[in-house]
Amino acid sequence: MSRVERTTRAGRTRPTGMTVATVIAGSVIFLLLAIPLAVQVITAFRGPFLPFGVSTARWSTENFVTLWGLRDDFWDVLGATAAFVGGSTVLSLLMAFGLAWVTVRTDAPFRRMISVLVIVPFIVPPIVKAQAYLLMLSPESGVLNQLLRLLPGDLVIDPYAFSTMVVIQSLTNVTFPYLMIVPILTGMDGSLEESARVSGASWGQTLRRVTLPMLWPGLLGVMVLTFILGLGSLEVPLLFGQESGKDIFALKLWTLISAGAGELPQYGLAAAWGCVFLVITTIAFVIYLRATRDAERRASISGKGFRPTTMKLGGWRIPVLLAILVFTMLTAVLPLFALLWSAITPYPLAFSFDALRTQTHFTAFGEVLADGEFWASLGRTLIIAGGSATIACGAATVLAYGIARSRATGWTRSMDLFASSSVAIPAVIAGFAMFLTFMVINPVIPLAGTIAALVIAYSYRVSIAYRAGFSATLQIRTELEEAALISGASRLEGFRRIVAPLLAPTVFAVWIQMFILGTNEFTLPAFLATPESRPLSVYMYAMINPRSAQLYAPDQGAAMALIFTLLVFAIGYGLQWLVSLRSIGRAARRGRVVDAATDALGTAAVAVEATDATDTRSVAAQQVAELTHR
Amino acid sequence: MTTHHMTAADGGGRLVVDALEKHYQLDGAEVPVVKGVSFTIEPGTFTSLLGPSGCGKTTTLRCVAGLETSDGGVISLDGKVLSTGTRHVSPDKRDVGMVFQNYAIWPHMSVFANAVFPLQVAAGRLPKKEARTRAMEALELVQLDAYAHRPATALSGGQQQRLALARALAHRPKLLLLDEPLSNLDAKLRDTMRNELRSLQQRLGITALYVTHDQSEALSMSDRVAVMNGGRIVQEAAPRDLYFAPADRFVADFVGRVNLIPAVVRDRDANGDALVEAFGTRLVTPCPVESGTGADVTVTFRPESVRWHEAPVDRPNLLPARVARVEFLGEIVEYEAEILDGATTVGRVIARGAPLNSPTEGSTVFLELAPQACRVLAA
Repeated sequence: MSRVERTTRAGRTRPTGMTVATVIAGSVIFLLLAIPLAVQVITAFRGPFLPFGVSTARWSTENFVTLWGLRDDFWDVLGATAAFVGGSTVLSLLMAFGLAWVTVRTDAPFRRMISVLVIVPFIVPPIVKAQAYLLMLSPESGVLNQLLRLLPGDLVIDPYAFSTMVVIQSLTNVTFPYLMIVPILTGMDGSLEESARVSGASWGQTLRRVTLPMLWPGLLGVMVLTFILGLGSLEVPLLFGQESGKDIFALKLWTLISAGAGELPQYGLAAAWGCVFLVITTIAFVIYLRATRDAERRASISGKGFRPTTMKLGGWRIPVLLAILVFTMLTAVLPLFALLWSAITPYPLAFSFDALRTQTHFTAFGEVLADGEFWASLGRTLIIAGGSATIACGAATVLAYGIARSRATGWTRSMDLFASSSVAIPAVIAGFAMFLTFMVINPVIPLAGTIAALVIAYSYRVSIAYRAGFSATLQIRTELEEAALISGASRLEGFRRIVAPLLAPTVFAVWIQMFILGTNEFTLPAFLATPESRPLSVYMYAMINPRSAQLYAPDQGAAMALIFTLLVFAIGYGLQWLVSLRSIGRAARRGRVVDAATDALGTAAVAVEATDATDTRSVAAQQVAELTHR
Repeated sequence: MTTHHMTAADGGGRLVVDALEKHYQLDGAEVPVVKGVSFTIEPGTFTSLLGPSGCGKTTTLRCVAGLETSDGGVISLDGKVLSTGTRHVSPDKRDVGMVFQNYAIWPHMSVFANAVFPLQVAAGRLPKKEARTRAMEALELVQLDAYAHRPATALSGGQQQRLALARALAHRPKLLLLDEPLSNLDAKLRDTMRNELRSLQQRLGITALYVTHDQSEALSMSDRVAVMNGGRIVQEAAPRDLYFAPADRFVADFVGRVNLIPAVVRDRDANGDALVEAFGTRLVTPCPVESGTGADVTVTFRPESVRWHEAPVDRPNLLPARVARVEFLGEIVEYEAEILDGATTVGRVIARGAPLNSPTEGSTVFLELAPQACRVLAA
């Protein structure tokens, strides 16, 4: 009965200020996601160039016919994409699960250090990571291949081999599933395993018959999200794929619209491709929704923060530590070294102490810092990341509050699903669809290629903020607002003085997360940015891309990558420090008392976790993990 | 003590609830929850709504608070209409205070900030200095003035409860609403808070409406108790009347422990009192019944009104019984006795007595059901 009571709101007969705000926020999010997708679908069915305003535009299925006409090509792309994305998803999931298990569920030494080391690469922009791997694997000068030559046997890694790309993609993305698996493992009810152990099952049997079946729905959710992330990212396919000769979807889409001299870009065909893959990710999203619903039903996640029993590693300590050492070398030490070496050498050069003495200089760093365009693109990066984080967090929080606090109707349910669905749109499709949209509306609203266009495009990741806001609202008991009403406060006053301060820690945490996502973003601006609006990630790519003749300067590119990474770190920690001073500090003080207010403080606890875990992205993890918990 | 400031002469208002109706929409269907509830609370008195969960008592309270919109009937406070089925004064303009079941203390504020809130918001806004004085008075009332600048969540459960009370009283509302406010406290603290709450209410002379499913809370604190079942008030009475003269089987059973014995009306004496047949024998009861001879009725009596004797005595309503079970509960002993007719068991009775003078398990005794302790209700 109390459930019914909670959802029946007083004064629902006339729209209040809150209702109006909810409807506005809902409309913003709806338009943000629906228009680009609609434009893409329309373009797929309307002619080879743009769907409106050009003489060739007409309704036809021509693009799909063309797509099918090139079906050898079509199956090639589909196969290569499946192998690339599927392979890297499985591989990164296996690594992530292993790492998460070691840090959460075993007595491995240096667990705490390992958990930090694993998270660190996540804050490095993916384009920087891809660049670092490219340098590291260079057949002549790459540090990894140099190391391999020291070993017996004639082992050289071909950077453009398909299998290399799969491994690199999985190493680039591994922290994402790791951050989502950790809370799933931590939140697991240990007593279920203990009862299996007491019933006489060994560790192995318990893992196989109790733990994994229990975690399976949650892990399936992580897998789907990792898959969509992999499908959407352009960095590795762009840097490695062009040479490998394999057409991976993200790269295919990008090549189709980057027309060579004298030919029209094939937007219609690209849109048809986009539609095909949108169908695929929609299916994946449905699987994800079902999986996470199951996860809820099994209630393997209690969120109570107790630690399940740890497994004794015993004789496995050394092999486990070695594996982690290799992992850290591959994801942090060697890439960093490769970048640094590239930044201080004038041209690709194998490492030797002789070269170190005679050939190296630090001028590239100076050149970057003296480059006006570097500072301009850095400024644009901050504006775009900050602006989009603000829009997404603002609209999403208002909508999430409104929906969490209204009666469940068909409308609210569909809006809830819709606002959560941007996670199902691969970045590369979002980038392309946004690109088309700004081209189409350009005669009326000239935004194409502007910073504003990028701000809007980056905001498409709104569902991260929406889900976080939704669960944070649910954790604020309605009685707290009712008490304000009874005390004589208007609804707006109640929201301002009670709800807003309680939601603030979560909103700040998500804002920081989205801000950092924004600074790292490469795929979206690759489609949308012009030299006048490009953020740092795209400018840096121009420096390391041999095709951008006049800008090509790999040593400056590497120096910029290092400075860029350092800046993201500094900004991430700086913001986190600022927040910890203010709201989170307050939340932490509150958090010490666990009593009647526990529910309302769940919100703050998420934020407190963040200060504790020494990395902003763990907030990301908490928030993103919420997606899988649901 | 400055508490005398709070004892305003015009402490309480008169609440009239007339034919209140409330439905919920559940999967498209209208589910009635409150079905024509009417009651009046006189200024400065304490009324409890008592009933099992789902009986509509909390919904009634929330309709009075304005947190739910009623679907029919009129609610008025001191003649000011708060709700009709179609028009509703919003909760912030009703001049009521409310204590919620789980305190609803705002965790991001200090103790003082919680208490002063009602004096800062639109409806009850006061100048800063006055608001401060009044909030501190309210905190003094509940002995929390020393904790004013602590974070609200640093308080214990009982203290949070007091803070909720101070907050509800700070703007000196005409009506105080309490929604099971003691149910989250442990037993000892609950007893203390019960006394404090009652004496505070009497001292301030505020009108109070209290919702509970705990009969001892309702009986001990209230001037009037309204027992609710299935969305209706089944009996409204003073606590003693409710206990000793329940209107029907439901009230008798819900309020306290009771024996409900099926019986048949056999005769009436000159006063119209019934002579009923139960346990295969005749019982004298002083209770008038409308039902005629031969009607099926229920005889009720409280366990503590049963007296036991080792040997037969010359009293009415004396029944031979065998003690089947004795349960030691500390301050009392409860025992279950099988009423005997020769060697056969014809019924069971629950009885309670002082622990130092209790029958032993398995012994045969004589139970006395004093006629004035028995009531006859419809079957």
